[in-house]
Amino acid sequence: MHRNIITSVGIDIGTSTTQVVFANLALDNTSGYFAVPHVKFVGKTVLYKSPIRFTPLKNHLVLDDEAIRRMVLSEYESAGMSPRDIDTGAVIITGESARKENAARLLESLSDLAGEFVVSTAGPDLEAVIAGKGSGAQRISEERGICVVNFDIGGGTTNIAAFDDGETIAKGCLDIGGRLIRIEDGGIAYVSGSARRMASSIGLALEVGDPASADALRAVCGVMTGLLEQAAGISEATALLDETRTPGSTPFAAPERIDAICFSGGVADCLASAGGPPFRYGDVGPILGELIAGSGLCRSFKRITPEETIRATVVGAGSYTTTVSGSTISHGGGILPIKNIPALKLERAEQEICFGGCPEYLRERMEWFLRQNDENTMLLAIEGEISPSYSRLKSLASCVYSAMSSALPEGAPLLIALERDMAKALGQLVERMASPGRAVICVDSVHIEPGDYVDLGHPLMGGLVIPVVVKTLAIG
Amino acid sequence: MIDAALIEQIANAVLAEIRSGEGVSSVPCERPRSDDTETLEDITGEECRRRILIEEACDAHALTRMKTRTNARIGVGRAGPRYKTRTLLTLRADHAAARDAVFMDVDQGILDDMGLFAVESRCADKNEFLTRPDLGRKLSESAVHDIRARCGANPDVQIFAADGLSSTAISANLPDLLPCLTDGLKDKGVAVGTPFFVRNGRVGIMDCVSELLGAKVTCVLLGERPGLATAESMSAYIAYNARVGMPESERTVVSNIHRGGTPPVEAGAYLAEALRKILKAKASGVNLRKEWEA
Repeated sequence: MHRNIITSVGIDIGTSTTQVVFANLALDNTSGYFAVPHVKFVGKTVLYKSPIRFTPLKNHLVLDDEAIRRMVLSEYESAGMSPRDIDTGAVIITGESARKENAARLLESLSDLAGEFVVSTAGPDLEAVIAGKGSGAQRISEERGICVVNFDIGGGTTNIAAFDDGETIAKGCLDIGGRLIRIEDGGIAYVSGSARRMASSIGLALEVGDPASADALRAVCGVMTGLLEQAAGISEATALLDETRTPGSTPFAAPERIDAICFSGGVADCLASAGGPPFRYGDVGPILGELIAGSGLCRSFKRITPEETIRATVVGAGSYTTTVSGSTISHGGGILPIKNIPALKLERAEQEICFGGCPEYLRERMEWFLRQNDENTMLLAIEGEISPSYSRLKSLASCVYSAMSSALPEGAPLLIALERDMAKALGQLVERMASPGRAVICVDSVHIEPGDYVDLGHPLMGGLVIPVVVKTLAIG
Repeated sequence: MIDAALIEQIANAVLAEIRSGEGVSSVPCERPRSDDTETLEDITGEECRRRILIEEACDAHALTRMKTRTNARIGVGRAGPRYKTRTLLTLRADHAAARDAVFMDVDQGILDDMGLFAVESRCADKNEFLTRPDLGRKLSESAVHDIRARCGANPDVQIFAADGLSSTAISANLPDLLPCLTDGLKDKGVAVGTPFFVRNGRVGIMDCVSELLGAKVTCVLLGERPGLATAESMSAYIAYNARVGMPESERTVVSNIHRGGTPPVEAGAYLAEALRKILKAKASGVNLRKEWEA
């Protein structure tokens, strides 16, 4: 069982910039020779960071997919990588870009280009977590045992994630960013819907073609800063905060106690460099940065220096989207990798029904889930429990097997993910019930929330673990 | 240096104080009433262990989190240079549990439920078991007789349990682990011998069992020396072609089996796979590692 190294790619297509990162992730068995193996990531090395380039657009709303594809390909060449070298990774279309009309098509074409097990993920909540990991906020939270809130302020959106003792405890996304308003030749060239809303909340009307007034734009950025303060819980939330929430994201529930904050994203670079021409990037990023630096956020909380600013999301996508399953799992049949599997997460009470051994409830629940998602495959996600008895486990196994084998079409694999360390035992039990043609994969140490999609990669470390990517939204 | 005159002075002052009645507690001891129905808190329970005993901790939040990562007695405060009474009592309770694990016998009812018959090593009692490790590695004459009579010869895998230094570990883990392990082997067509239980047995007794039954692979599930953190930890020692006098390096060990470590059911499924690998590789311990690395 040698140390395994896998190569990962992160591709971030943001509202303003597109970046590519390649990284090596090292896996090793960290438990002693005299115990059950415990494989985890033991090191991450970024191999290549692309320059930061503007995202090619055909117009303000349409991504230039051909140009983006060429750009990503040339980064592979510069890094000396070919799609064959890539084991895992993520293509992320963030912020406003994700809503642009051809985002789905672009994701699909890039996903094919970028190796077998590269996932296309998009979803503002997940991006917030990825950025918080890429910025180093999560690591500091874990190392110091504190609560850190990371604000990744990009061109179109601000992804907010709170980490307590390394665990994600809140996430959300707001339509606040440095390029919601763009300036060309001293005039306003673009105003996003949310910027328009924020302007009108203070009685300003911003129109394309108007001369760019530093005072007016400063006032609008003041509204943005105020909303960020509201999100952090240091001032009362207004109706505008909810109106500014990015569609598809959850409202950010500010933790009661915040020990420190961290800023990443392009605007984070503008926090330090106050002064200089306000419209030097053709947008309001510098003004927004300057206002945030002087805001209540920076007065109320200790600020952590990020490891990455503008590259936080891409580094996070390249290094932190893949996790590994527990090291005692059950998987048979060569059906891996499998991608974009919708997960049905059972609640505690539902899980108890299954432990009780009654399959009717679960079968109906699964059939409904498959119809809702228009799918014929799915993953059953259960929290499980600490050290169940063998008889309880048997009863769960017979319920799960009976429900899954009748709800799923013939030949479809039985995919089960648990949080608690019990997958090998449950898998062994389900497998002995399953007919020969049925693949059974049962993994643990995987946390899944309702609505998530899951990718399972090729087994690693001599079959001990399976790489797992949990994502909030799958396109393609 | 302690000044003898100073000590005398202090002693006299204390004596004078006692004589005058000052400084002596005049509050009568509150005796618990017999009709008191309030239940006492279990000081060895999770909730009590999680509690922070430091008064006015400057960061109780961080301390709480640190305590979730270890079962060491941190954040317990102190009374002068000593433990607080509660810490001392918990420590003594844990020590008592550890002693019980060593000295008590596995409940016959538990063995009956699993259908295990019991045999003895050559140790007459626990005292001999503790003082004569050599005897704990050998089967008594009646054990040899019983095993020969009740177990099939030449199994692929022979599994048995022994109390070792913790009967508690056997009672806590074996009922869930053993059926999961044997199911996992039988499902894959492995011939599993009749399991049994050895009282006052040590690891080396597996060598005698292996020779007696002609097992290809022998696995003993054994209670580990209890500590103050848990008295329930069990290990599996596995050897291919175990024989008296074999090098210890040929044993494969899976330790830390208990509900707070590797849960018994999960350990059962893991051991089933490990035993199948050992059977296939015809090697265990260091030799197996060589096999994997080749």
